[in-house]
Amino acid sequence: MYWITVVAHLTYPIYCLTSYKPPNTETNPTLEDPTPDYMNLLGMIFSMCGLMLKLKWCAWIAVYCSFISFANSRSSEDTKQMMSSFMLSISAVVMSYLQNPQPMSPPW
Amino acid sequence: MRHLVFLLPALLLLLALPDTRGRYNDDFDDGEDIAEFDDNDFAEFEDVSEDPAVDVEKEPPPRAAPSSTPIEDEEDEATVENEDGQDEFEDADAQDQDMYSKYDNEEFEGHEKTNPSFKDTLIYREVPAHLQNSWESYYMEILMVTGLLAYIMNYIIGKNKNSRLAQAWFNSHRELLESNFALVGDDGTSKEATSTGKLNQENEHIYNLWCSGRVCCEGMLIQLKFLKRQDLLNVLARMMRPVCDQVQVKVTLNDEDMDTFVFAVGSRKAMARLQKEMQDLSEFCGDKPKSGAKYGIPESLSILSEMGEVTDGVMDSKMVHYLTSHADKIESIHFSDQFSGPKVMQEEGQPLKLPETKKTLLFTFNVPGMGNTSPKDMDSLLPLMNMVIYSIDKLKKLRLNREGKQKADRNRARVEENFLKQTHAQRQEAAQTRREEKKRAEKERIMNEEDPDRQRRLEEAAQRREQKKLEKKQMKMKQIKVKAMS
Repeated sequence: MYWITVVAHLTYPIYCLTSYKPPNTETNPTLEDPTPDYMNLLGMIFSMCGLMLKLKWCAWIAVYCSFISFANSRSSEDTKQMMSSFMLSISAVVMSYLQNPQPMSPPW
Repeated sequence: MRHLVFLLPALLLLLALPDTRGRYNDDFDDGEDIAEFDDNDFAEFEDVSEDPAVDVEKEPPPRAAPSSTPIEDEEDEATVENEDGQDEFEDADAQDQDMYSKYDNEEFEGHEKTNPSFKDTLIYREVPAHLQNSWESYYMEILMVTGLLAYIMNYIIGKNKNSRLAQAWFNSHRELLESNFALVGDDGTSKEATSTGKLNQENEHIYNLWCSGRVCCEGMLIQLKFLKRQDLLNVLARMMRPVCDQVQVKVTLNDEDMDTFVFAVGSRKAMARLQKEMQDLSEFCGDKPKSGAKYGIPESLSILSEMGEVTDGVMDSKMVHYLTSHADKIESIHFSDQFSGPKVMQEEGQPLKLPETKKTLLFTFNVPGMGNTSPKDMDSLLPLMNMVIYSIDKLKKLRLNREGKQKADRNRARVEENFLKQTHAQRQEAAQTRREEKKRAEKERIMNEEDPDRQRRLEEAAQRREQKKLEKKQMKMKQIKVKAMS
């Protein structure tokens, strides 16, 4: 068995194995999709508006933004950031309803 | 005497009563005519000038009745009318009001006639919506929650679909890849290159596969760029503007595996876009994309090439066959020894160094179905992978002739020169700032020196260096002048 493998090895073409290196997104920012970061930021802004100005629709939009950010996020991204944004938007909704239990009125 | 005692108070009483009544009348009458004496006990209280809209009760109120009856008995011999004794209590409130209305306005201050509002319609205040026992008022909230649930449902469905498509692609291509590459699937987490044998999920819509261990190439990165089916907003946007899933294959070659040329072929739209976006295509392939019809490929494809020889070399019969039979699936094919990615827009102006280049083959394929892809469609991409393997082997053998090589070298030198000229001013500035920094650092060092002797010595040394530099410069200037004159 030994000599068969040696022969096989001699006839096998020489190659080299290269390990995978993830592309460096700092040098090439066009490769990165900015959607999750923008949505995260928007979500936080809307939750703060909803909390400070007691606007229910702001809080609801913040919830949507955090969901969209989560859907578009990369798997390598930190889940803590996602979770904190999500929690903030939920707290904005809850606080605005506790302060004013009236239902939301449509803008029209 | 006793008779006198009894008679005197009676007389006094008889005399006083008319006066009191008169006085009483004066108080309430307000100078007007004394009301006609009705049978009504309270005729004296009646105000003649009152609003006729107000009902004037003819029935005497019960509590007033007893006090006035003895007087009347003695004086007017009137009979006490005690009408509807039981009902008097029921109408007490209304009668009270009427009684007040008969009073003189001046007698009471601050008394407002409130009785008209009693007769007007009652205003019903609405119960606040959150205190009502109905969910209907919360319809906006219900809408929001429904929207969120729909988003979550779409996320799950989209994620699963993308995952199934990726798995279907991998299953159909696995055999080909494993027969050509020693390493299939590496996520880059381990120090040594280990074959995981599965796709690396970057996103819910992007899957990577790294293959390595083959002659003629360093490695191959396959990216399955699916549509964002997990994002509802994207799904809605795609309804307006249909887009395809894409498979992108990037083969990086070693230096000896490819000659120096730049070439691209693909759909007309893609070629126009790439010529503007890609650094190497814009620099080396300045001419407009040529129609593919000249080389026997469909009209829908166009070619960008550095020189004609390259096109002739690449477009052999087998390649033409591949391109013709799968023209609808080919977005772009890009071969380049000067590949550095798309043009990078820097804020400070041009970058100071030429970007790093790598010999690369870049293939972009469209998955058939235009978004409505099924896992079966992945099998149709297998011939394209065969084309990739064929191209790798072909380019290893493709060599330019002497003329072609010279032209290619000239082109590269020209590009480099242009780049250096454009950045000359910036590079000079950068060099100047570096020199100034050095000087400042040295001066600081001298200042910080505590020993005065050492300080003096360092200063002298710095001065001597400056002098030498000046002398050198002057010599150079002289030499240039002499050369110019001669």
